[in-house]
Amino acid sequence: MTALPHSTSVSLIPHIALVTVRQLLGRRRALLLLLLSAVPVLIAVLYRLAGAEKVDGFAGGVLEVLCLNLILPIMAVLFGTAAFGAEIEDGTIVYLMAKPVARWALVTAKLLAAIGLTAVLAVGSVVIASAIAIVPLGERGLQATEVYGTAMLVGAVCYVALFVALSLFTRRALLLGFGYVLIWEGALSNLLPGIANLSIRQYSMGVGQLFYDLAPERARLEPATAIPLAAILVVVATLLATRRLMRLELSGSGD
Amino acid sequence: MTAADRPLAAAPIIELDHVARWYGNVVAVNDISFNLGPGVTGLLGPNGAGKTTLLHMLAGFLAPSAGDVRVLGRRPHLDPAVYRQIGLVPEREAVYPFMTGLEYVRFNARLQGLPDVDEAARRAIVQVDLVESQDRAIGTYSKGMRQRVKVAGALVHDPQVLLLDEPFNGMDPRQRLAMMDLLCQMADAGKTILFSSHILEEVERVGSEILVIVAGRLAASGDYRAIRALMTDRPHTVTIRSSDNRRLATALMAEPSVFAVELGELSLSVRTAHLSAFRRLIAGASRDAGVSLLEVAPADESLESVFEYLVRR
Repeated sequence: MTALPHSTSVSLIPHIALVTVRQLLGRRRALLLLLLSAVPVLIAVLYRLAGAEKVDGFAGGVLEVLCLNLILPIMAVLFGTAAFGAEIEDGTIVYLMAKPVARWALVTAKLLAAIGLTAVLAVGSVVIASAIAIVPLGERGLQATEVYGTAMLVGAVCYVALFVALSLFTRRALLLGFGYVLIWEGALSNLLPGIANLSIRQYSMGVGQLFYDLAPERARLEPATAIPLAAILVVVATLLATRRLMRLELSGSGD
Repeated sequence: MTAADRPLAAAPIIELDHVARWYGNVVAVNDISFNLGPGVTGLLGPNGAGKTTLLHMLAGFLAPSAGDVRVLGRRPHLDPAVYRQIGLVPEREAVYPFMTGLEYVRFNARLQGLPDVDEAARRAIVQVDLVESQDRAIGTYSKGMRQRVKVAGALVHDPQVLLLDEPFNGMDPRQRLAMMDLLCQMADAGKTILFSSHILEEVERVGSEILVIVAGRLAASGDYRAIRALMTDRPHTVTIRSSDNRRLATALMAEPSVFAVELGELSLSVRTAHLSAFRRLIAGASRDAGVSLLEVAPADESLESVFEYLVRR
């Protein structure tokens, strides 16, 4: 009696990810996130209608503050913590755990599902909003779209990896996730520049600088530093999540 | 009272050796040992007795705090390979509500790595009699239908061991009987089935083998009729109908093994310490009294009486 071969576990990842996507979209909060992702687009339309032509103003205000600092982490926290958390909460995790599938495959499937949804909504929102408001304004608008689109994508991967892992360690992952975003990244990183090395927002901005240099107070890490740090975060979070899932104990709701 | 483990013809499928599980200071399961072979066994116990904890340890979801749990010779905790031969029906109702019944069973078949997912799913759906509803979303299912689709998902890979936590919950009487038949058929086919239930009648209908857990301890295991026979500190009650109940009552009162006789309108109720000895004496006593016996039936050999006795002891 052996577990499924790794190749079979790999082939099951899309099936598990698809079920997770359906599960995440079935929750009421998915509608809220869909509405949230429409906000930058709405602002972009108003921006365009008002005849505004400042690329940096739109990029700094809407793409960075609203999308990268607020909408992306909110989506990543909600999707990331729910990927496993919702199943643990309602008990359906049993149907995955009672299978001879490699645990890393379950984690990978959950990550792909949550990253996919977060990226589609968050990156999609940035790209559409930029296409409306700043891309028509010239090369600078296109560059800003590339910077923030890439930053959103990197952020989606990193945040989700962190929050998926967190949800396997604590039932208060949602609270801790928001705490990390609001207190650690929102408040402390502005006061203590050294925190940049432990900030997903800074990793995202740092990788975004591959396209053009941002002001040092906005992006404190160079791509050469941000890329390995982001990669390490994702790998470590995935390994920890897998290890935790292998040892996860389910006590059930009965006696 | 703890009956001896059942003798097993072959190596046991499920083995628990002095197993305990505690959560902090709370002991959920305390020093339980038993072996199970093929067949159906009912896991009985009041709420909070430790039934679900025990099933979850067998399913590998919980590590024992002490002792050893083995299923098919393997320790199920941290061993996903064992799920190729374990089917689990959890107590919690939740099943992916957005999937159709067929999708759910196919999903389970796929995660078991079965070569022919469609055929396995079709067979399992037929087994639980869900063909007509297989294309409906599970979210629209009744509680009983959700139970059945969970069972279909658990047996889609034809496991050697089936663990079911309150499997009859929410089923109507017809569905319940069908599910009992299915479990009996699987047991006849050599599967090892352990199911928990708080409805004693269900356990009684499916099989006579029971495990009784009270306050985390194994209070009894084995055939419930044998367990009842071992309860010598509790008199047996026998109901008798005869051609002359009053005369027979008088005759029985003289027997030392008879504790009490109660004369009813149509029958006698006799309390005795030793049922087998009483069965031997009743024939002679009735003959000597010139009374014809119409019916002699133990009144309290039901599983319910065994269970009540063990829980209240």
